[in-house]
Amino acid sequence: MFIQDSEEIMIARKRTTWRFRIACAIMTLGLLAQVRALAAAPANWRINPARTHIAFAIDAVGYPRTHGQFHQFSGRISVDFDHPDRSSVTFHVQSQSVDVGSQPFDDYLRSAAFLDAAQFPSIDFVSKSVERVDDRSVRVTGDLTLLGVTRPLSVDVAVQRETAGGGDRLAFVAKTSIDRLAFGMNSGFPLVSREVELAISSEALEL
Amino acid sequence: MTPEDKPSRWGGLIISLHWAGAAIIVALIALGWAMVYGGFDSASTFDFYQWHKSFGFVALALTAARLAARFAGSAPPPPPSPQWERGLSAFAQGSLYILTLFAIVSGWLVVSTSPLPVPTRFFDLFVIPNLAPADPSLFAEAVLAHKLSAWAIAFLVALHVAGALKHHLVNRDDVLRRMSPGWPKIRSARR
Repeated sequence: MFIQDSEEIMIARKRTTWRFRIACAIMTLGLLAQVRALAAAPANWRINPARTHIAFAIDAVGYPRTHGQFHQFSGRISVDFDHPDRSSVTFHVQSQSVDVGSQPFDDYLRSAAFLDAAQFPSIDFVSKSVERVDDRSVRVTGDLTLLGVTRPLSVDVAVQRETAGGGDRLAFVAKTSIDRLAFGMNSGFPLVSREVELAISSEALEL
Repeated sequence: MTPEDKPSRWGGLIISLHWAGAAIIVALIALGWAMVYGGFDSASTFDFYQWHKSFGFVALALTAARLAARFAGSAPPPPPSPQWERGLSAFAQGSLYILTLFAIVSGWLVVSTSPLPVPTRFFDLFVIPNLAPADPSLFAEAVLAHKLSAWAIAFLVALHVAGALKHHLVNRDDVLRRMSPGWPKIRSARR
């Protein structure tokens, strides 16, 4: 009796082990599928600095319009074409890299009167949400930090995907304007306008 | 000092200071016009302003040195001209000294009281301090004074040059020669 019983228990145990193994296999497959789905989702892109321009323009009374750009920056773009809301972008711009075409003018803009580059070396944009506007553009909403002051900023970005040569490229063009007074950059107002136009164009290569 | 003791021509120091000052005043007026009305781009305009400010302080040093040299040294005798011509000449020359100083000081006041304080970096070497704190109403007055004095200087320079050319070409005397560098022949040198 005892032996029979034990034989039955053994058979039951074997069945359980098989069920357990099958369950494990199914779960593993499921997990793998999920991991693959995650990997396929927001792909990371490398920003091509040679084809990235962070430009600005500002007006002043009795003075020509000043155009300039920043040459040093770093950034990360993560794009999910199927779920644009899972995309993100961050940009860190070095304020001392400002260039308006005149070294004394650059030095003046780096001073405490405007960019205060010694105290605030970085101008940062970190996206919080990305929403699809149409086939060719998205609205990126995030936080812009300038002079240590963080304010929300929403920008419409035109996106173009190009498949050329070695791989995919994404071209971005964004134009917006900010109110410099909101960041405490008050020098020269109202002679120097409060509105600063920004024009950012970038190209990213798929990693 | 009797007329016989007076030098026949201006001294080398006065001549150097005169022509250096002349060149700088003409350059300052040209730069001033270019930076305000020239329609240049923003970067060039900024550089023009900085040069205008730096050369303005060079003009201040030259004018002060020349006034000191004028008071310390002696001038050649005035040419035998009608009284009204001598009066006009003295007026133009005296006014040029006064207006040059006035234009420089009012310009210094412009950069000092500007609502947009741009430090005056003397040829990008060191910062020249301001005369007063930022003050929009004083700024507007200083701008007006600076512009008016610049236009008056341009007019007086034209009058001064016309007078010198009249002496040289019409009267054919030595008024221009005795202010010219390295001009050995002085016709009316010995009486």
